[in-house]
Amino acid sequence: MTKTTHNHSNRSFTRPVSTAAAIALALPASALAQVDTSDWKCEYCPFPDGYEAEVGVGASNVSDDSARIGSANGYDESGVYADVDGGGLYAADAYRLSWMADDLGLDSRRLEVEGGKPGAFGFTLGYRELPYRLFRTTQTVFTASGNDELTLPSGWVSSANTQNMTGLSAALTGRDIASDREILDLGFDVDAISNVTFFADYQRQQRDGVQIMGGSSFFQAALLPRVIDYETELVDAGLRYARGPLSLSAAWFGSFFTNNADSLTWDNPFGVFNDQGRLALEPDNDFQQVSVSGTYVADSLNSVIAFTVATGQGEQDDDLLAYTLNSAIAAPGLPRPTAAAEVDTTHYALSITSRPLPKTRVRFSYRYDERDNTTPQAFWQRVVVDGFLAPGAEQNIPYSYERSTIELDASYRVSDTVRLGAGYERKDIDRDFQEVAEQTEDTGYGKVRWLPIAEIELQLKGGTARREPKQYNDAFAALNNQNPLLRKYHLAYRYRGFAESMLTYTPSALPVSATMTAMYSNDSYSRSQLGLLDSDSKALALDVSWTPTEFVSAYVHASDEVIEARQAGSSLFAAPNWFATHDDDFETLGGGVRFRNIGERVDMRVDYTRATGETEIIVDPPSGANSEFPALESKYYDLRVAADFRSSAKLTWNVELRYQRFETEDWAIEGLGPDTARSLLALGASPYDEDVIAIAFGVRYRIGADDE
Amino acid sequence: MKRLSAAIIFALILSLAPLAHAQDDGAPSYSREGADSCLSCHEDAVSLAVFKNSHGVPTDPRSPFGKGQLQCEACHGPGGDHSRRVRRGQERPVIPYFAEGSTSTVAENNAVCLGCHADSTGSGAQWHDGAHDFNDVGCADCHSSHAAHDPVLQVATQPEVCFECHAAQRAQVSKPYAHPIADGKMDCSSCHAPHGEQTAAGTARQTLNDTCFECHAEKRGPYLWEHAPVTEDCSDCHAPHGSSHQGMLSMRGPLLCQSCHSQAGHPSVPYQDSALAGGSASAFLLGQNCLNCHSQVHGSNHPSGSKLMR
Repeated sequence: MTKTTHNHSNRSFTRPVSTAAAIALALPASALAQVDTSDWKCEYCPFPDGYEAEVGVGASNVSDDSARIGSANGYDESGVYADVDGGGLYAADAYRLSWMADDLGLDSRRLEVEGGKPGAFGFTLGYRELPYRLFRTTQTVFTASGNDELTLPSGWVSSANTQNMTGLSAALTGRDIASDREILDLGFDVDAISNVTFFADYQRQQRDGVQIMGGSSFFQAALLPRVIDYETELVDAGLRYARGPLSLSAAWFGSFFTNNADSLTWDNPFGVFNDQGRLALEPDNDFQQVSVSGTYVADSLNSVIAFTVATGQGEQDDDLLAYTLNSAIAAPGLPRPTAAAEVDTTHYALSITSRPLPKTRVRFSYRYDERDNTTPQAFWQRVVVDGFLAPGAEQNIPYSYERSTIELDASYRVSDTVRLGAGYERKDIDRDFQEVAEQTEDTGYGKVRWLPIAEIELQLKGGTARREPKQYNDAFAALNNQNPLLRKYHLAYRYRGFAESMLTYTPSALPVSATMTAMYSNDSYSRSQLGLLDSDSKALALDVSWTPTEFVSAYVHASDEVIEARQAGSSLFAAPNWFATHDDDFETLGGGVRFRNIGERVDMRVDYTRATGETEIIVDPPSGANSEFPALESKYYDLRVAADFRSSAKLTWNVELRYQRFETEDWAIEGLGPDTARSLLALGASPYDEDVIAIAFGVRYRIGADDE
Repeated sequence: MKRLSAAIIFALILSLAPLAHAQDDGAPSYSREGADSCLSCHEDAVSLAVFKNSHGVPTDPRSPFGKGQLQCEACHGPGGDHSRRVRRGQERPVIPYFAEGSTSTVAENNAVCLGCHADSTGSGAQWHDGAHDFNDVGCADCHSSHAAHDPVLQVATQPEVCFECHAAQRAQVSKPYAHPIADGKMDCSSCHAPHGEQTAAGTARQTLNDTCFECHAEKRGPYLWEHAPVTEDCSDCHAPHGSSHQGMLSMRGPLLCQSCHSQAGHPSVPYQDSALAGGSASAFLLGQNCLNCHSQVHGSNHPSGSKLMR
């Protein structure tokens, strides 16, 4: 749902214009011929000429190390940071060049340059880094050798039980689970000929770091701090044509992923079956797609027609590893030396948006998506954890699907203040090699938009959706050793009821606007005996802003979201004999106030955010009392006070004080040291308990700008 | 006295006439001097900032300030009445578009923007096909056309604009495991096309998965051994706007996996609190739970990887 509050437009439904007419309205070009602009000198227009910029330098002191708090902003370690940011514009004749720099001294730095001759050509150049920090509390016995091998210390004493690994404690060293992404963007567009624009965008992403990956040794597993070393190149290029009512675009998209390590060989600390294990890592892949899309404004029909056609092909042909590292196992040869995996994709979309009658608006749309996996099938002889040959051979399964969606949405303006709407959507999905080969989903909804008075707008929407598999193929499930009573939730019959509302209050007499949204949905998997049985989702959010004067503004927002789910399981490969319930509750509260131009020199702002979550899980086992897990909790607090002081027209001093706290309770890692679980060599990650106080000082200087 | 009054009225009419550029056909008139008429009053920073963005480029023929264009009135509409002198106590007529008190509708205002932006820039080419248009969202609800740097076009500030309506998402991005949107390092349009796309949820690429693969290309495959739901819909397991569970999973493992897997020889055991670290410390429950062994949940390229363990 959406609201319309700030655009200085009449919020009643009077004086509607047709879709097509709306496009024709107020076209500047259409008016040009009728207006004599010979005296329009624009002498008071302060067009930029020459160079102007604002550059800021500063320093921050961060009190503590953190992972979550500093994950993306670059302030993940205690200490002093120097920082530079700013922006500038150079304008000369018909040319412009602008730049923007942000956090150049941090691991989250960003630099963007944009230039060209507006109306003729343009280019962009961007570079940014995006850090990601997950854990700083992790420890490991493994040492990375390159990006494809993890080794144990010499003299390692293997054991099937972590608690008997006598050298474990001495061998542990800290290893952060973190990565950094570098992104380079290049873009170019040129108005090649009349009505035609050529564009080309290139992006290169490089991601390096350490990630957690499980390595299995049959009854044991080790959490491995694997090195990641990814490169991705993305290219978009094409032409856009627009003339009159017709817009067309033809584009090529390419994605080229390279993993600089195709496997991870790891010394097996358990010494079970084999001294080493090997995982295949994400293979290189290419994907290319061509698309044509367009829009036609049919004035005579009061309609807009849009379409998209796209076809693509993805390939992955990495060399395959051997079945096993264990030379003692007489594994047969591979059916083929490379993956030879290929996927063809097809997409069509057509939509017609129309106003057949002055008070009526209708949108019809059809969409088709296909993923056709053409990877050849073969029989493969699995070697289980480099220990022994699995009985029989297994065939790789190339999953494919076809999905089509047809939707009709209509609304009717009953009066100047009431609009009613209704819609219907039908989705069909056909799949290969899965329990459900054909599935449909029918959704119907109604909606109301009502303006009881000019200051209040209420939007309501509600409906139901029924997803139905034509047949849940138990025999297919049995082939995969699945309990025939199980219904996978994305394939199962589901009846959904949903409702949402938005109430907007914008009193003309008060400098206040308030929005309240509420959402509810209930999913019932009433034909499932095993698997997800039902789930409820409720969300309420309130947003209030207050602008008492031109120089003072304040806001408050709050929300509460509750997600509940219930599932059934069977430990005996029979009828359900256990149940579990989840209850996720997440609340947020935020507020702030801004003062501008205090004494014509000072701006101040204060912002506060609180976000707390709690997940309760209760398991009803086959026998005995219910088992209630300790609550999974997260608490985040953020208080920020900042002030700017303009000592002159060109010089501004700023200071900021920020306090953040993040803490979690998480039983999945709480107390889980490397040897706590006998069959799991863990990394010893701890729940978060982070406090960070940051103080920043800086100065900004304007160059070349006028002194107003 | 009557003669004097008539003379004053006549003088007033004469004095007003040059300020407006009247048109003979009865259509609203444009101002006499274009932007200079406007800027003689509107000299505030907000108004003047338009000259720092692409709307205020005099050498760009597409710009409202391009040669022969209608300057301020290209967007705000004919300003003849508005710029004309008014008598003391008389209310000044409101400029037609994008002004306090304007009676223009959302569709009319949007039509002004689309007069230029429905063209080869592509930004508005499919506007009429999107949910925002269908729900009467105005361009100016999101865009600040005068700002030197439109907040909705800046990574750090765009989400706050979107959250004005999409309040539930504001809360979700504050969850412990989320894309770095709340940190100002990623914006909504990284994944969504706000001007209309013929895709579910307005994703920027043809499908949700294709959109995710832009940053997570390592998961694109196709793998030799695939995990069926992964090939179809990332959101079968992940909550893309944020989650309370690591990996942005929609539910805590192993229960998430047990919603779909109950296999012979690998029974679906109801792990209880007695299996936590203070108890039997089960590897099926703790750490990465199922992923301790089945770490290749997005697919495996190992010839022995059919169980997604290699």
